Amino acid sequence: MTQGDRGTRSARSAEHLSAVPDAKTAGTDPAAQADALLRAVARGDETAFARLYDLVAARVYGLARRVLRDPAQAEEVTQEVLVEVWRTAGRFDTARGSATAWIFTIAHRRAVDRVRAEQAGADRVRRLAASSAETPYDEVVDEVTAHLEQQQVRRCLGGLTELQREAITLAYYGGHTYREVAQLLNTALPTIKTRMRDGLIRLRDCLGVEVAS
Amino acid sequence: MTTEIHALAGAYALDALDDIERAAFGRHLAECETCALEVTELRETTARLADVSWSVPPPRLREEVLARVSRTRQVSPGGRPGRSGHADRTRWRRWTAAAAAAGILAVGAGAATYAVQEGRVRDERTAAREQAARIEAVLSAPDVRLRAETPTQGGRVTLVISDALDTGVAVLTGMPDPGSGKSYQLWTIVDDQPKSAGVLPAGAAEGTKLVTGLRDADEFAVSLEKAGGADAPTAITTKLTLT
Repeated sequence: MTQGDRGTRSARSAEHLSAVPDAKTAGTDPAAQADALLRAVARGDETAFARLYDLVAARVYGLARRVLRDPAQAEEVTQEVLVEVWRTAGRFDTARGSATAWIFTIAHRRAVDRVRAEQAGADRVRRLAASSAETPYDEVVDEVTAHLEQQQVRRCLGGLTELQREAITLAYYGGHTYREVAQLLNTALPTIKTRMRDGLIRLRDCLGVEVAS
Repeated sequence: MTTEIHALAGAYALDALDDIERAAFGRHLAECETCALEVTELRETTARLADVSWSVPPPRLREEVLARVSRTRQVSPGGRPGRSGHADRTRWRRWTAAAAAAGILAVGAGAATYAVQEGRVRDERTAAREQAARIEAVLSAPDVRLRAETPTQGGRVTLVISDALDTGVAVLTGMPDPGSGKSYQLWTIVDDQPKSAGVLPAGAAEGTKLVTGLRDADEFAVSLEKAGGADAPTAITTKLTLT
């Protein structure tokens, strides 16, 4: 889609989007689809927003849940993040990455902010214990995530050195700062910084991440 | 200073800086195009880490979010330049400049072969992503319901169903090893008539399959068949009642 038709009536794109049956998202690459939906959302298209929700909500919630270790808080964060996506969609800039990266950046940041706001470690431990009461859906989701594309992410994580992998997962899924990670892994600060960066670079190459599309 | 701050790109993309460092790095990004490109790529990478932590939110969350959205005013894009062809060109220039600087602009026949291989890999990846998206659609459907059975021989068969989408996700885990010459096959049964709903690869003791046409089905079954599957089930090991 060129920018020539940028001005062409959101009405038409709304109609076009809502005419596409829901489950048949399979027709196009979901990443490209998220980009198109987010652009429609930026024009105030609520139908597009509902479809974008269906595309990303489980990942936003899953990420929040993993970082926060508390379903109730994860719900709140998911709600905040998705409303934020709606509110600020106009600021999404394709030149600075994909829609999914934009959304998960907001989601991760929110989850991490909240974790850090809660100083008390004891509180987190309590939550960790509470969250081990799994619902059946989670079991299924865990089973499903062992497959398909996730395999690639897991395989690529497996291709990192142990220190790279631990540094990255403690920061990303655990919401820790690199200083905390250095303490947890009993490793010098500069080493942790470096391992985070070269580990992510190796992951990027393994996943075939591309920015210019 | 520059090299040192540059090393923070990974921690920045992981949100692992404290607020002060974060602000400092943010200022640095504004004046370092290579860093901005690197961070963009690393952000794309960290976003993929979210792929492995799906969890289905409670269905009511969808209604709540949509209700809030319908009464939330959107902010205007602000003073940022629009997404024009000009921006695309700038991005391309930035990208090629950085790529050239990094010495990764390949040329010649080797590059063409590489591109073809990359294309193939990308097709596979796209197919996997599409399937993942359809599965996610089922898992996030408001009307999702769950059927599960633990076969006596071990393992677990789970079926997540959305009637609205007329699609289900079947998950087999920890099933008894079928041996290399055999496959697990899935069936939907309508009026006692079994219809194949997919076959796992030969020897696979676990797998995930999208299953369609569940709305009219009375039962869902798993059988053990010769590699590649059979026209009709010979030895059904697990049955789930759907209605």
